[in-house]
Amino acid sequence: MTDASTQSVANAYANTARFVPLARGFVTVVASTIALLVVCLIFAPSAVSTGGLMGSLPFAAIIAIVGLGQMLVVQQGGFDLSLAGGVSLAVVITTHIPAGNNAELFPAILFAIGCAIVAGAINGFLVGVMRLNAVVATIGVNALIYGAVFAVSGGVPKITTPLMATIAAGKTAGIPNSVLFALLILIAVSFVLKKTVVGRRFEMIGANPNAAHAAGLNVRRYQAMAYVCAQLHYCVAGILISGITREPTAFQGDDLLLPSVAVVVLAGTSLLGGRGFPISTVIAAFFLNQLSQFALAVGVPFSAQTIIQALALVFGIGVYSIRWRNNQTKPAHQSNKEETDNV
Amino acid sequence: MFKTLNTSATVSTLAMALAIAATSAMAETPSWCGPNEASLALLDGFGGNSWRLVTTASGAEEAAKCPSITTYEYADGQGDTQKAISDINAMSARGINAMVVFGDSGPAVLPALTNAYRAGTIVVPYRVNVGGEAGTNYTKFIGSSFFDDGVNWGNWIKSILPDGGNLLFLSGPAGNSQGVDELAGMKSVLDDKYVFINPEPFAVTNWDPSLTQQVLSAEIAKNDKIDVIVSDFGPSLVGALPVFGEFKRSIPALATSDGNSLSCFWEQNHEANPDFKLFTVATGNDNVRLAVQWAVAEATGGTLPTAEIFSAPVYEDSVSGTPNPVTCRADLPGAIYLSAEMADDAQAKAVGQ
Repeated sequence: MTDASTQSVANAYANTARFVPLARGFVTVVASTIALLVVCLIFAPSAVSTGGLMGSLPFAAIIAIVGLGQMLVVQQGGFDLSLAGGVSLAVVITTHIPAGNNAELFPAILFAIGCAIVAGAINGFLVGVMRLNAVVATIGVNALIYGAVFAVSGGVPKITTPLMATIAAGKTAGIPNSVLFALLILIAVSFVLKKTVVGRRFEMIGANPNAAHAAGLNVRRYQAMAYVCAQLHYCVAGILISGITREPTAFQGDDLLLPSVAVVVLAGTSLLGGRGFPISTVIAAFFLNQLSQFALAVGVPFSAQTIIQALALVFGIGVYSIRWRNNQTKPAHQSNKEETDNV
Repeated sequence: MFKTLNTSATVSTLAMALAIAATSAMAETPSWCGPNEASLALLDGFGGNSWRLVTTASGAEEAAKCPSITTYEYADGQGDTQKAISDINAMSARGINAMVVFGDSGPAVLPALTNAYRAGTIVVPYRVNVGGEAGTNYTKFIGSSFFDDGVNWGNWIKSILPDGGNLLFLSGPAGNSQGVDELAGMKSVLDDKYVFINPEPFAVTNWDPSLTQQVLSAEIAKNDKIDVIVSDFGPSLVGALPVFGEFKRSIPALATSDGNSLSCFWEQNHEANPDFKLFTVATGNDNVRLAVQWAVAEATGGTLPTAEIFSAPVYEDSVSGTPNPVTCRADLPGAIYLSAEMADDAQAKAVGQ
């Protein structure tokens, strides 16, 4: 490809991005979700019945919350594998420490939040400050967190407190509380990322850390903060799980790692870092959860359920991987220009 | 790391306490305990749930009945096949006389077991089929009759639902042999009037409470009529059953395995749910006792037990009250199994609550 044609492709891309900033991930995810709902209505109406949705939406909310946390890390070109440990630790702290006593629930939640901040700070220090590879550092921290999980629980599940079950599994105006929590977190994350100076700087650093450094921003501090904020998301998700599931196991976070990455990618956030798409991430979480409900509702064998989900993911990720190739051919200064325009 | 320390500490304290109790309280040694001194090891593939903790403690309690057992060791594979294999090799290299093995990884641990057996160790795998043959790869395999569990459930379903109905069968990971055997047991007594509404052979839950909840809500939304739920891990249903309330339907009859949390759940909810009948078979913690008896008899020169397969007895029936009515011990943790031979308080200690 010649320099001139590279430039024209890049310009065309920059123009598209400027005029419809949310279009890329948003349109794809919304279109896929609507298509899925239509397919559900035709082939598996029970998956979109009120009762069916009430049963599955809390789990979509959990995926949405961990997805938003993972998104912050991915925006900084990182990857957080300590999600599994973070969620599980919050689950065991909020079930084992109160041990069924409502009065001790609040201190336990505070303790869980404290642990999440410590775990996030260790991740942030290793990746943001010491410049370790994110995958290696977070997998190590995950093992450390699991040590704490066993120290608290001995690997044994415990029945949750009645108060936690009322808060997390209850409903307000017919909507599951967990969904309301997810929406509140979505609003907070969107506002901070898109409407505050801190958020705009955060996205700029993700898009181009070198340029941000040249502009005088404290790149390391922002990158480290991404891990702390992510752990706080996992902590909230863990606390909610401990109420939604009556007797959660000590390994409840393990099954959330893959979905968390999947929803971030489906929503269009580049694994190379840069802009985040919180609203699309939450819709993608609903999409992914609805997809597994669909597979369950049509009653196909387990092998086919797994294949349906995998194909949908491959399709979703495939759409974006074509975009990534364009990104890679884009000259670096163009990326700077686009991102600084947004600041 | 923490887990190993924790568990081994619990087990060793427990073993010591039990040894003292056993020597003072039990004047007679059981017939399977011979005169030759021997060392015994219990090797777990995965030790991190309450069922395993109670089972491990039960194994220690059984071994403590025999004064000829001089050393009792425990190792936890932590769900890692490589660690499970190296545990087996390490115990064999240390010259342990007999080992009882929960081979979670199935045939993957068979080569290690075969090597230990050929090196002269008494090897007794139990509960999970590891392949191979007794006398060639190991000394004796002490299985559990999951087929019989299926037959017991099937007979109860016939008694409460003589005209047939819709059954929903939930089991663990896809293709697990336990679920397949249980289904065969049920089908041997239930005819075509009884329809399994789950995908063949069972709805996959991985025995995970959160996945169970999702699977159950999808099945309830799909099927207007579910007469009986059959599950081979009852306590994992406790979180999922309230989903019926979302649909304004009564919890249906339940044929499953026992657990204190499940019994207490029944006690709290059966009045509001007229169709909620409960039938349980013992969860099978005592399978390990039979395996320990075999290993000790072989190693110490005692009399071999007559039973070769552990058959879980029927435990609770809320309809007939025999052999037991549903029994809830609200003062004890939910994560214990009242059907196990081990004393309830000792179990509570074993699960660390």
